[in-house]
Amino acid sequence: MNLVQAFMIHTWILTKRSLIVLIRNPFTFIPNLFISLFFLLVYTGGLSGIAQLPQFEGADYLSFILPVSIVSAAVGGAGGAGQSLVRDLESGYFARLLQTPVTRLAIVLGPTIAGMLQLIVQTLIILGVAFLLGLKVEAGPGGVLVILLLTVGWGLAFAGYSVAIALKTKNAQAAQAGTLIFFPLIFLSTTFVPLELIEAQWLRAAAIINPTTYLFESMRAVLIDGWVMGPIISGFAVIGAVCAVTVAFSVRSATRAFKRE
Amino acid sequence: MGEGTIQIKDLVKVYKDGFTAVNGISLKVDKGECYAFLGPNGAGKSTAVKILTTLSEPTSGIVQVGGFDVKTDPDKVRWEIGVVLQETGLDKELTGREILEYQARLFHMTRRMAKERATHLLEMVGLENEGKRQIKKYSGGMRRRLDLAVTLVHEPAILFLDEPTTGLDPLNRKAMWNEIRRLNKEEGVTVFLTTQYLEEADQLADYISIINEGKIVASGPPEELKESVGADLITFEFKNKEEAGKAAWLLGKSSKADYQKGKIVTVSIQEADRHVVQLLGALSREQIEVARLDVTSPTLDDVFIRVTAEEEKE
Ligand SMILES: Nc1ncnc2c1ncn2[C@@H]1O[C@H](COP(=O)(O)OP(=O)(O)OP(=O)(O)O)[C@@H](O)[C@H]1O
Ligand SMILES: [Mg+2]
Repeated sequence: MNLVQAFMIHTWILTKRSLIVLIRNPFTFIPNLFISLFFLLVYTGGLSGIAQLPQFEGADYLSFILPVSIVSAAVGGAGGAGQSLVRDLESGYFARLLQTPVTRLAIVLGPTIAGMLQLIVQTLIILGVAFLLGLKVEAGPGGVLVILLLTVGWGLAFAGYSVAIALKTKNAQAAQAGTLIFFPLIFLSTTFVPLELIEAQWLRAAAIINPTTYLFESMRAVLIDGWVMGPIISGFAVIGAVCAVTVAFSVRSATRAFKRE
Repeated sequence: MGEGTIQIKDLVKVYKDGFTAVNGISLKVDKGECYAFLGPNGAGKSTAVKILTTLSEPTSGIVQVGGFDVKTDPDKVRWEIGVVLQETGLDKELTGREILEYQARLFHMTRRMAKERATHLLEMVGLENEGKRQIKKYSGGMRRRLDLAVTLVHEPAILFLDEPTTGLDPLNRKAMWNEIRRLNKEEGVTVFLTTQYLEEADQLADYISIINEGKIVASGPPEELKESVGADLITFEFKNKEEAGKAAWLLGKSSKADYQKGKIVTVSIQEADRHVVQLLGALSREQIEVARLDVTSPTLDDVFIRVTAEEEKE
């Protein structure tokens, strides 16, 4: 068996394991999905009136809030990758894996891929609900693909971060606390209204430096305006940059964790 | 080449915080041998096992397992060894069968081979009816047995067992012993085990090293170790302290009167049953009356207490 083949099989086995564990514990993802759908239903129902304001330029509030729902769901899926590693460290299975010829990368990749798959399914469910509520995607089916890609990119960035925290702290509570960064990222942004409507200067400044803002804006572009390349490209660029940072961070923690004492 | 053997020369392990957990150990284990590390909490047993099994790096010294150097060839070592660590290494959400099959697949077996191997191993450790249950529903003893089975998936030539029976009830302990014995004697697997139980080392091992504070303080086959401690022990009890004092002085001339404590005098001597009559004769000639007499052969416990106590004195 050559190295590439071994790597593929190892990654597949460990991805399958993560998926099985995930399916056996539906309460690790149901609350998160529930909260995201809650965003969608409650804010669309309760706040859609503000979309009459000129700053919304005639956009439907459903299309405006949908990215928030998708992104908040993605965080849950991605955070699971780190939590799964903490679970392995605590159960001793991590040490057991280190004593097999398994490719080290597969140990981290398995839960990460499983997290990405979970996130795609969640996003599809949310999109499905949004379509039932009357969603129209201006950019068409290609736009849906863009949304999925952006979500996976963002999920990967967050998964890299959660894996890094998990391997660095080796502690479930710390890894859990690490996911709290999710709050400023989601809420200090153009979460509920466009930038022009944010009056507090500090919040406006926070929204401008927050990478999530660019993610929201590129998703909104394909949903509301169609193929407007400016925001779409800056969305991918920002996510690419964040991914590069967190994945590098996780590789560094992983190298340390795999290094023998 | 060195298949099934272990060789350690001048192994030292200093942890990052500066603590020296292993302080110059050398040993050799032959193929098919059962070797035991016997030592109290914190002696450095687990540290040694982690180094031997590639989980930790030696600070200095040469460690070869299965003919490969753990420092330069850890991947080759991993194919030769199976490891049961002090804490089980099981993903408790999985079923027994799943974890065995995954382990087999990680060791490059085909799906069919993995299935067969899992079935065989579940039977071997008596879990054939539990294979479909999640590990979190297993009892402690069942988990230990499954952990052993996972370790054996790739038919390792050397098996490392770090305190394999700690926390098991007597029945499960006996079952574990039998399994270890079978692997060692029938399948010719080299076994390296650590234990705090002298009885366990005595029962299983061909060769025992007593380890304390990172050093081997005594070693040999179980029989020899017991003899080296001064063989048997005779305990005399007298009417009072004065009598005991006289007796201790008297016995000290003809043998080694180890010590006197109150009315009790103990003598350690080889082949005590032959000498006891002589000693009693000497006492009665001086009209010293013996209130009680006890002759015991030393257990490994005595060896252990003695050796570790001597260490502390130094
Ligand atoms: N990662 C570590 N960093 C620093 N010191 C350590 C580390 N691991 C173990 N030690 C120390 O090294 C010594 C030996 O520990 P080790 O676990 O090898 O003992 P042991 O013989 O297995 O004991 P036990 O019977 O309790 O399992 C102990 O004093 C322990 O505190
Ligand atoms: Mg130990």
